Amino acid sequence: MNLNLPAFLLQTALLLLLSPLVTGCIRNWKAKLQNRRGPRVWQPYFDLAKCLRKDRVISEHASWIFSAAPCVLFFSSLLAGLMTPLVTTSPPLSLFGDALAVVGLLALGRFFLALGGLDPASAFGGMGSSREMSIAAVAEPALMLSIFTVAIGAGSTDLGRIVTVAQGPGWQLLAPAHLMAFAALFVVLLAETGRIPVDNPATHLELTMIHEAMLLEYSGRDLALMEWGASVKQLVLMAILSNIFVPIGLATGHSISDLALGLAVFVAKILLLSAGVVLVETVNAKLRLFRVPDLLSAAFVLATLALFSTFLFGIK
Amino acid sequence: MNPSPDVASIAARVQAYFAGRVAAAHAAPPGEIHFDAPLALVAGFSGHLYKKWNARLVSVFADDVRAQTRAFHLYYVFALDALGVFCVLRAPVPGDKLEFPSLANAIPAVDWQEREIQDWFGLKLVGHPNPRRCALHDHWPDVHPLRKDFDLRAPLPPFSGESHKFREVEGEGVFQVPVGPVHAGVIEPGHFLFSVAGEPVLYLQLRLFYTHKATEKLFEAMPVTHGVRLAESISGDSSFAHATAFCHAIERAAGVEPPPRARALRAVCLELERVYNHIADIGAIATDVGFAVANMLAMRLKEKVLRTNEQLTGNRLLRGMARLGGVGLDWDAARTSALSSLLAELPPEFESLVDMIENSSSTQDRLQRTGILTPAVARDLGIVGIAGRASGFCHDLRGNFSGRLYERAPFRVPVYQAGDVKHRMQVRVDEVRQSFSIIRHFMDDLPEGAIRAEIGGLPADRTALGWVEGWRGEIFHWVRTAPGNRLARCKIKDPSLQNWPALSHAIPGNIIPDFPVINKSFNLSYSGNDR
Repeated sequence: MNLNLPAFLLQTALLLLLSPLVTGCIRNWKAKLQNRRGPRVWQPYFDLAKCLRKDRVISEHASWIFSAAPCVLFFSSLLAGLMTPLVTTSPPLSLFGDALAVVGLLALGRFFLALGGLDPASAFGGMGSSREMSIAAVAEPALMLSIFTVAIGAGSTDLGRIVTVAQGPGWQLLAPAHLMAFAALFVVLLAETGRIPVDNPATHLELTMIHEAMLLEYSGRDLALMEWGASVKQLVLMAILSNIFVPIGLATGHSISDLALGLAVFVAKILLLSAGVVLVETVNAKLRLFRVPDLLSAAFVLATLALFSTFLFGIK
Repeated sequence: MNPSPDVASIAARVQAYFAGRVAAAHAAPPGEIHFDAPLALVAGFSGHLYKKWNARLVSVFADDVRAQTRAFHLYYVFALDALGVFCVLRAPVPGDKLEFPSLANAIPAVDWQEREIQDWFGLKLVGHPNPRRCALHDHWPDVHPLRKDFDLRAPLPPFSGESHKFREVEGEGVFQVPVGPVHAGVIEPGHFLFSVAGEPVLYLQLRLFYTHKATEKLFEAMPVTHGVRLAESISGDSSFAHATAFCHAIERAAGVEPPPRARALRAVCLELERVYNHIADIGAIATDVGFAVANMLAMRLKEKVLRTNEQLTGNRLLRGMARLGGVGLDWDAARTSALSSLLAELPPEFESLVDMIENSSSTQDRLQRTGILTPAVARDLGIVGIAGRASGFCHDLRGNFSGRLYERAPFRVPVYQAGDVKHRMQVRVDEVRQSFSIIRHFMDDLPEGAIRAEIGGLPADRTALGWVEGWRGEIFHWVRTAPGNRLARCKIKDPSLQNWPALSHAIPGNIIPDFPVINKSFNLSYSGNDR
């Protein structure tokens, strides 16, 4: 087992430091498109710092699950991030697991998030949890199938291998299978990160919330971990989406210049993807809750078609 | 000031029908017919007016006159929409038998108003389907604050009664979701209890009156000139409409009519209030379905109107503009040109807002067939204003009851039958467009002259009804004057009081996440309801 400690530390730092910025950029850009000045892009850092300093208020009905959920969500997202290639083609924890492990870790985080929403027995938390789980039931298969589409082409479910193969010659970036899988995964990204048209991250209306409803009872350090964990998860999903479909610029070596270039390209890709999310959020209204499964089913069907077409046409 | 022939003949025919048991009182202000009848005849009287005259009961209230007649008076105000006449029926409740028959079984629209009388005056309701506490919550001590012998400053006994018991909805998988009374966001308090099976709502119970301030009692404690300021604070978004309705009532009691220029300025201000509130609502409906861009555009347009309001009247919400006998401020050339430039800028921008919402298919998908209030239910509940007109109610006081305020103004009542969120928004869109042309109509031909008529001393013991079609719906202020330019009673009827129960009927069958947008499409006032 050769755990590359510097890589491990660097990627952890990258995940923790970059993820609030992505959230901040999306909020700021959305505000700009709405003719507002908007909060600074750094605002999520200040929010996290503030929440980390604050006391917690915990419902008397809550059990240990309520306090454990933020840690589970935070560390499962972080672990998933460490298994995902961000800047280099070889993620620091690639030995421990592959794409399935990443999906599993994200599901574990969601499971505890939903439990945390249910635990204090407030009406809103329960509603949020039930909505989250029913959406996840369709979103998760779509996520897996999209990843499998490229995994088949690469001959491995290991994300590091996938991006390595994808960087090689003969890989068709614009193959129909890849485009369909990309589209499916983009919809999953919107659903998993609680974005319009699935969920509205900016609303104050408890009755319409999904993700935020589960966080209503959280405060202080727990809230900070929840928010930070959600940001990391968002960054991980974006990294998967941008790196396995557009593996341009990933560093193969470990020289400083390679890493610097890789980092620059990675940040550029993530910000470009964020801009796409901002556009979708701005031009759409939120879907009626019962129509969200329609959207996700469409993503699922796209992902299935993508997967089939890899067999039919043998795209690499 | 002569009563129109209509009024005299209606009075004579109604009196003839009841063969002398109903008396038409003299000296009513123009457009009002006052009747006196024994309590036992109230049900028959309203039945007759409903069937024969196509009337609707717009307000029911009580007045404590035990000092003069050893009785309470009940008042029933009917609107004869087609004729533009109000019938006010007065029935005494003798001081030794404090009860009155309920009309709520025949006219569900008066449900809450009758219960208010029971709470505030201690008159027991007989035959009401749900005679529980309404305006004063269940744990209030046994006091009746609107009786004359209740001192406003008297310390209340401890609040010790039982707390309110909501109806229980039972069944497998049925959950109760309590929301409020304190809400997220800057809104007023109201408690909503949803009974849900999964996401669909089975039943919604409302609990309001958390902001009851005994405003009607406060009017009795101040000179009428101060009452205008109090009327402005009944519901902040309808400041000018409420204050104008109050002024209208006082002017009618005094027999004074505001000069033409004052009437035109009033109408323009009422339309400005309508425009800024409708635009804000259209934006807020878009927000509640997650379409924030449209809301930001709407907020920008609303801000333009508010700034123009400030230029025109010195206050963004038009406060201070309403005065007894007219308006508070004359408009010079600079002010009228500010209004003209608003009228030049705003309509095209408003159309682009409407286009943006209409062209957003995802928004339309959320609005259509959401929160349907059927015309039948709306008629039974007496739903007025925007919500009423989206559900087949084709009345607007600016039409037949213009009170010489909207004479000759270009105006058509937008009426739809669909009763969903989309059409409540559509009524607003139509009304804003009309408001633009109404304002233009008045500004193109603004009469010269005084802006205020002197009220002078107010004659004592007169009653008069004042009304205004506010942006939310019809507002009534009824006053009985007292010696020394004071009021013995001021009854306020905000459209919210009439419309809140509609929400319970528009929700079932919809899913919980659609409640905010349905609620917003009604946009009722808590303060105006609770007073």
